[in-house]
Amino acid sequence: MAMRPLSLATRLTLFFAVAAAVVFPIFGWVISREMEDHFEEGDSAELAIISDAVIEALAGVQSASDLAPVERRFDDILIGHHSATLYIAKDDGQLVYSSSAHPDLSGIGRAAIGAPEGDTIQLVNADDQAYRVLVRRTSRDHPALPDVHTVVVATPIDYHLTFLASFRRTLWLMIASSVVVMSVMGWIAVRQGHAPLREIVNRMRRVSANERAREIPPESVPRELSDLALSFNEMLRRMDDSFQRLENFNADIAHELRTPITNLMTQSQVALSRARTIDEYREILYSNVEEYDRMAQMVGDMLFLAQTDNGGSKRESIAIDLAAEINALFDYYEAWADERDVSLRLAGTVTVVGDRLLFQQALGNLLSNAIRHSPSGGTVLIELGRADDGAATIAVENPGTPIPAEDLSKIFDRFYRVDPSRQRGGEGAGLGLAIVKSIIDLHEGTIEASSDDRGTRFHIKIPEVAKAP
Amino acid sequence: MKILIVEDEPKTSEYLRQGLTEAGFRVDLARNGLDGHHLANTERYDLIILDVMLPDIDGWRILQSLREAGKHLPVLFLTARDSVNDRVKGLDLGADDYLVKPFAFAELLARVRTLLRRGGTNSVDANLTVADLELDLMRRRATRTGQRISLTAKEFALLELLMRHQGEVLPRSLIASQVWDMNFDSDTNVIDVAIRRLRAKIDDAFEPKLIHTVRGMGYMLEASGEA
Repeated sequence: MAMRPLSLATRLTLFFAVAAAVVFPIFGWVISREMEDHFEEGDSAELAIISDAVIEALAGVQSASDLAPVERRFDDILIGHHSATLYIAKDDGQLVYSSSAHPDLSGIGRAAIGAPEGDTIQLVNADDQAYRVLVRRTSRDHPALPDVHTVVVATPIDYHLTFLASFRRTLWLMIASSVVVMSVMGWIAVRQGHAPLREIVNRMRRVSANERAREIPPESVPRELSDLALSFNEMLRRMDDSFQRLENFNADIAHELRTPITNLMTQSQVALSRARTIDEYREILYSNVEEYDRMAQMVGDMLFLAQTDNGGSKRESIAIDLAAEINALFDYYEAWADERDVSLRLAGTVTVVGDRLLFQQALGNLLSNAIRHSPSGGTVLIELGRADDGAATIAVENPGTPIPAEDLSKIFDRFYRVDPSRQRGGEGAGLGLAIVKSIIDLHEGTIEASSDDRGTRFHIKIPEVAKAP
Repeated sequence: MKILIVEDEPKTSEYLRQGLTEAGFRVDLARNGLDGHHLANTERYDLIILDVMLPDIDGWRILQSLREAGKHLPVLFLTARDSVNDRVKGLDLGADDYLVKPFAFAELLARVRTLLRRGGTNSVDANLTVADLELDLMRRRATRTGQRISLTAKEFALLELLMRHQGEVLPRSLIASQVWDMNFDSDTNVIDVAIRRLRAKIDDAFEPKLIHTVRGMGYMLEASGEA
């Protein structure tokens, strides 16, 4: 079984956390590198200045006797450069000057003997202290300094390192808390961002058969959700429409049943109000039977519709030669059509797969409807054929006054009659076309009606080979 | 002819009993499945009318036990559900016919008579005669008082049906199904028009009238009877 995907809030929070955890440390690393470089450059520049001054002072000294006053100058140079120490030696090992025993720079000086001229910077740990040390070898060609000297200047850098360490600690602490803050903010942002979604969900939750929920104005939600709002509104409208139809349907059922029941009741009560002859009683019973018959037929039709609505009952799937079926129906309706002076004509042929009895009923209803609405002398034409996509097409056409467009859309509704005054005119309860539509739906087909001055036309499309249910 | 009705609805069963008794049948009534099951298996009947929905033993069980016991009397079942499944199930279990409630009593009567006739010797008559109306089934010819009457194929089939069932009321739905093989309720007066045309040919110019309208129920062909 597939795992349920992580919640959006978790996903986005994780994403924020990972992004912060990657970006901030890189940032922190760059900053601390910059700091270290900055300190190193500062130290190196200071050491270079000291050694420049020392060599300048040394240049005036030709013999050991001159050295004493210069040594004082060395001390002056060192003052102001916090606790820098100095060591100077000649290449023959003769110590020229050493400012203090701590740190001991003689080892470094001796090690540099024989090295080429120039500066080298190194880090040295001595006596639990860290020093940055500059070793300078004077040039053999120095005009005022014939002997090659090694000048070693050291400055303690512990306070730099302490500062850097504390800076780094603070930095990493900030980075860690930033990651946490970012994650929390991300989570909050997601929750906030989802607020319009939750609002939509709340509205959807309020939708029920009883309470028609209000529509969501698309401009009241973020742009990303306006499609959702639009679809939701469309769905609401469709449901509203269905509810409306259902309510009308219930009202219609009540109305359709109330009329015959009222007739039956009134008639029976009037009949019982005084004694009647046998013939009169018989007449009343006959009339009652007619009303019952009509009600029974209506209930049967409604049951049929309810069953097909619920996904339909199991039906047979056999090949049906529609031309043969229609010719049989023509046979059946012939006398009736003849009496109304309506001719029947069939063109084309096609075979569909489905339930023969259901097709007989659907086509029978359509045909009787067409005959009923044809004027005297008219011709009902049924055309069978194939559409471009291979589907079977059935067109039933009758001349007559055009049906207005607003009625055409409701023509398949239950109990719908184009002319309300023609109710109960011996033409059933207005369920005939609704039954046709539900049968066509059951066969995964479509039915449409069109009407103009030439007459009214029903177009049916049935997939040639219906899938077995 | 003895008929067993198994039906738990008191009013329905009482009216069925009355109607069938008055139509000349001897009728036993069982008001629940157990009694029905017992009667059906111990007594001898020519036909059983079986309600499917019973409170204790349903109609299917009774039907099944009858067939398992090797009894092949005709069974007509009544169902309140107009579902194809019920129809298929009932016919699979060996029922001979079915009716969906609500049904017209005339329809029930016509079906009962058809089922009873099916069991007996099915007379393959060459001719049908009612009063002075004769139908030559071999040569597809109708005559009245010796006069040849020309009928269309469907008119001939309609007349044959009425004559085979003379004295019985045939509901419109039964006529539509038997003559035209149309098995849906049409909201038109197609059958009335067809009967009117048939009357014009066989009755209008003759006395006595043979085709009678039974209001609220259907049509009947009879040599002498009230209209």
